[in-house]
Amino acid sequence: MNRAAAHLLTRLYPRRWRERYGAEFEAFLATGRGGLRASANVVWSALFEHIFPTPGLKTDQQPRSFGVIVRQPSAFLPLAMSFTALALVLGHVALFGAVREADEGATAHLWQLLMAGQMPVLAFFAIKWLPRAPRPTLGVLALQAGAALASMAPIFFLNL
Amino acid sequence: MGHYSDPPLLVLASLASGPKHGHAMIEDIAGMCGTRLGPGTLYGAIARLEQQGWIVPLPPEERRQPYRITAEGLRVLRAKLTTLRHFAKAGLGRLEAS
Repeated sequence: MNRAAAHLLTRLYPRRWRERYGAEFEAFLATGRGGLRASANVVWSALFEHIFPTPGLKTDQQPRSFGVIVRQPSAFLPLAMSFTALALVLGHVALFGAVREADEGATAHLWQLLMAGQMPVLAFFAIKWLPRAPRPTLGVLALQAGAALASMAPIFFLNL
Repeated sequence: MGHYSDPPLLVLASLASGPKHGHAMIEDIAGMCGTRLGPGTLYGAIARLEQQGWIVPLPPEERRQPYRITAEGLRVLRAKLTTLRHFAKAGLGRLEAS
């Protein structure tokens, strides 16, 4: 496997794992067989390490407050998707009025994609963070649910 | 089917015959039971075994990092293999009886 690919794949692991095994793992990948199968195995193992961290590895001492957790990509991405969906609906209403259309247009399809697309991200966020910091994670999940409901509200209340 | 896959146990069994680095472990395990561990799977097992104190790293050789099994690791390996032997014996006995 070439060194750039080995470096990129190693970067997929959590920082505290990389601090201990990163250098040797990267060298191990760079001197081994590459290929799709090996790369897929590393991607899956890195994801597994994020969800089920190796017990006993020195953990980072960052406080796991609401503010820290809500800045995680898997926390703010669903929020951004919900607010984008809300902006799409409100923009559509502002431009064309609150009229129900027989055929679903591009706006409706985009809204559906944004709402459905955030589901796997939400699931990943909940699986990763609920065991580590339940209380602030529940707060972020409530915020995400609120944002999703806010983007659904115009659809129901304006009967779009 | 037919390939045994318990990566930590396979790594311990490989290191039972002497210290090895990652690539040597993969080849040794493939020769021992036909299972070829992926790089992520191998290092996932190595990390967990080291944190449990069942293997330890040795000084690196060029860019390769060898590991050796500890006395505690040998004890765990023996216990697990003994359980497997009893299980295999009981399972094979039932097959022969049927």
